[in-house]
Amino acid sequence: MTAISRTWDQLTLPGKALAILVPLLLFLTAGAVITILLFGGIVWNAILDHLEIVRLFVAVLAIVLIFIPFAFVIIYMELKIIARMNLRIGPDRVGPWGSLMSLVPGLKVLTKEDFTPTKADAVVFTWAPVVVFATSVMSALVLPFAPGLFGADLNIGLLYFFAVGGMTVVGLLMGGWSSFNKYSLLGGLRSAASIISYEIPLTLSVVGLIILAGTMSLNTIVEQQAGWFTNWYAFRQPLAVVIFFIAATAEANRTPFDMTEADSEIVAGFATEYSGMRFGFFFFAEYVNVFIVSAITTVLFLGGWNAPIELPWHVAIDINPGAYGLGLLFIIALVPVLGTLILAAPIYAMRSKTRWWVALIVGFVLFNVVAAGLTLLWAYASFDVVAGLLWFLGKAFALVFVFVWMRGTLPRVRIDQLMGFAWKWLLPAALLNLFVTALAVIVVQQWKGGL
Amino acid sequence: MATTYPHGTHKSADDPHVLLDDEYGQYEPIPPYPPRTERELEFYTPGDGEMYLNMGPQHPSTHGVLRVVLKLNGERVVDIDPVLGYLHRGVEKLCENADYHQTISQLDPLEYISSLFCEWGPVIAYEKLLDVQVPRRAEYIRVLSGELNRIASHALFMGWFALDLGGLAPILYSFIERDEIVEMLAALTGQRMLFNYFRIGGVNGDLNHDFLSRLGDWMSRAGKQIETNLALLNENEIFVRRARGLGTIDREAALRLCMTGPNIRASGVPFDVRRAHPYSIYPEIDFEIPTRSEGDSLARYLLRMDEVKQSLRIIDQCLEQMPDGPIMAKLPRLLRPRPGRAWAAIEGPRGMYGAYVISDGTDQPFRLKIHDPSFIHLQAVGALLPGHLLADTMAIMASLDPVMGGVDK
Amino acid sequence: MDRALRSRLQARFGLELHGEIRQRNDETELRIGAGDVVDVLRALHDEPAFDFAILADLAGVDTGREMQVVYHLWSQSTNDWLRVIVEGLSRDDPRIASATFLWKGAEWMERETYDMFGIVFEGNRDLRRIYMPPDYTSFPLRKDFYLADDSARSPGAGVRHMERTHSPAEAGEAPLRSGTGT
Repeated sequence: MTAISRTWDQLTLPGKALAILVPLLLFLTAGAVITILLFGGIVWNAILDHLEIVRLFVAVLAIVLIFIPFAFVIIYMELKIIARMNLRIGPDRVGPWGSLMSLVPGLKVLTKEDFTPTKADAVVFTWAPVVVFATSVMSALVLPFAPGLFGADLNIGLLYFFAVGGMTVVGLLMGGWSSFNKYSLLGGLRSAASIISYEIPLTLSVVGLIILAGTMSLNTIVEQQAGWFTNWYAFRQPLAVVIFFIAATAEANRTPFDMTEADSEIVAGFATEYSGMRFGFFFFAEYVNVFIVSAITTVLFLGGWNAPIELPWHVAIDINPGAYGLGLLFIIALVPVLGTLILAAPIYAMRSKTRWWVALIVGFVLFNVVAAGLTLLWAYASFDVVAGLLWFLGKAFALVFVFVWMRGTLPRVRIDQLMGFAWKWLLPAALLNLFVTALAVIVVQQWKGGL
Repeated sequence: MATTYPHGTHKSADDPHVLLDDEYGQYEPIPPYPPRTERELEFYTPGDGEMYLNMGPQHPSTHGVLRVVLKLNGERVVDIDPVLGYLHRGVEKLCENADYHQTISQLDPLEYISSLFCEWGPVIAYEKLLDVQVPRRAEYIRVLSGELNRIASHALFMGWFALDLGGLAPILYSFIERDEIVEMLAALTGQRMLFNYFRIGGVNGDLNHDFLSRLGDWMSRAGKQIETNLALLNENEIFVRRARGLGTIDREAALRLCMTGPNIRASGVPFDVRRAHPYSIYPEIDFEIPTRSEGDSLARYLLRMDEVKQSLRIIDQCLEQMPDGPIMAKLPRLLRPRPGRAWAAIEGPRGMYGAYVISDGTDQPFRLKIHDPSFIHLQAVGALLPGHLLADTMAIMASLDPVMGGVDK
Repeated sequence: MDRALRSRLQARFGLELHGEIRQRNDETELRIGAGDVVDVLRALHDEPAFDFAILADLAGVDTGREMQVVYHLWSQSTNDWLRVIVEGLSRDDPRIASATFLWKGAEWMERETYDMFGIVFEGNRDLRRIYMPPDYTSFPLRKDFYLADDSARSPGAGVRHMERTHSPAEAGEAPLRSGTGT
């Protein structure tokens, strides 16, 4: 015993960690192998039997993972674009053009103390950010990113989206109430008031679209908008787009409707007492929400994954690597080298100060860029998923830019102006839109029936 | 003789200010001593459904270290009790213990946004005591630099006001002007913010090439650039809707509250010390006193922006009429004014800056009273705010443009 | 200098005045006793002949022998600043009527004067300390309050506590600086 304990004491910290981890990993691996050998067939059969459920789990995991880089990109966009709008340079130290800047607060938030105020309702306080974050990600489940690329194609997708999206307010209220802080409480109540008010015009503005589409499945709605951009619902429901976008801004608590965390009034609203990763969740959910709101606007009104123009010809680049035989080996070996040299040569020749190896490195990087571009072009032309995803993300991020733009330029409205706008202007407008749409549909149907 | 002072019954040892952990949150922010005045009793007696909200001294937008206790009914502000003193330095006491020249540098940090005006009032008062005739060139330089400082201050006001209404961009645009002016004044005075430039009987340094070339550059494009910056807010529907009708105060109430400067002129009282009691060379200069009658935050904002244009006119005329000559009167090194009293008031960007000096014949002022407009205007918040929403608290405060350095002296 | 104002003031407040009305530069100075403050200020504010609508400043003064409260007023009817000096307040128990019935804005000025000098303004609804903490017991701008690094200048030339508690009841004769205010 003494020998073991003495040896243990002599080990350094990494040594101790290794001494524990290596046997543990060996043990787990052995266990896993044995389990797979014994029960593998049964598990595999179960997976095959319930493929749909497994697919759902995978989709949820994928969406959570996808949204992490999305949120970081949006945070970086906001930092940089608002900086340029404010005559500043913005982040420029971390990564090229400061592009990794949004990771830094992310890491900082992870390492900070997770603090609960003395009088806070600890359980509610802990779960509030989880609720907010979970509802954000859950509502992303029905978003069709590209043909065949979606979490779930519910036939009540739109209803599901609004139902789950509206649950965000529960999380905000939980955070506001449990923090035991009056700023938090005011922020939570403000968010409850504004979100509930704006939920109504938000939903009503879409009802006209549902009448036209005849479905609530987001996939079907996107498919109906295929072809030229005039097919988009934005052109058939112009009023609804405006109402929807304004109401969605309020839903996402963005400027000019960011009453919930108005920093010049109530410090940080519901998030005042939060720190560490819980604050991170709120922060993260906010930017995920921005993307989701942009995405749903894209899906409903801007044609989703469809390209705005329909090309009269169909490009299909069919590359069959097998056909090249042994030549393929030579291509793989030669093309990078030749490409690098061809791209490096002019740099070396034009600029006398450039060393040859610097020129080679630049050439190699350029070659990679060109190759990636060409591959993307090929993928775009050959696969609907890639083309759809690119168009979808392009449109969604264009809307994200609009959100950032608004934040850079507009002051904040007051809570009574906010509520008045929802009830006095948006709601009647949404009802008018619904009425006109319904009337038009009936008239068209009668007319067609009459013929 | 036993005297009861209103604060006299309080024993701090019996009523510790610090609450224990388990006591925290059981109390409203009622002070841990019995109410000392009628007003305090009234304020700290909550009505039905009312709660207290403590803002500051650490808050994103209290313009310095100000603490206000708000009495709220929902989001609606019922009453407000500003708590001052977090920046109190006892400048008046320090000035009583410094000689006349030394006081000027003590006065600078009072209003760090526009410190030339803090120097100007006392300097005029000292000159009155000493019967000094200030050279005309020095007067012109004073007016020139003062009006530049006024524009810088109003530029900052514009940004602040927008920031308190939630707009991020305007403050950075308004800093284009302010930064340029501040650098310009640094070239003239040697300091960016706390200039310490005016002297008894003149100014510290003559106009130099750096300053004049910067000023010329800036003047050639200032008007256009200021118009551009103003368009950012004046044509913004959200901003105009929020500022209009915010914190309205009528003529009589403004007079009763002793308000001065742009804040009272926005309520229709054309009181501007530059015209009411002309000092320096203002009688010789052609400019207008903009006045508005609405008395709300928008009027106060627009009036300040009109003043910027008038200041540009004044600067133009100063540069045209600038006479040659000395910039300092001949004065002994050690000043011993004969015993007497003097009062001088000047028109600053925030209102009337006054100085009341009593000399006892020694080289130090016996008493120096600084009248600061920020102090008066912060008091007016209590009259303007009730009935408005929490969101407007800071906006109304910003529209009055107080600087905590001046409020707390 | 507005000679007419002087004669008008002399005619109106002949009984209340303490001493001559002085005029220097653009200032007219009159001195009254603490009992007449309300009447004089009300007359200056209300009567159309004077119409002093703006209270420019309210200052406390400790001359070493007595307390004074000084009002500066402005009117459209004259080119002069009017200075009203209320003199003869005792240093032990300075009391004066508040001006808040005319100018609500005097409230904080009076609070400041109370905080710095201990002058009690009767009728002010909110007379508590404004700069100093609520449990503070001295009045910093009084002449017997010395700064720590200023002890060498003090008449006693000894080291004193920075915040020498001033309790009016116990205070002996206040040390004077040579040549107090005029």
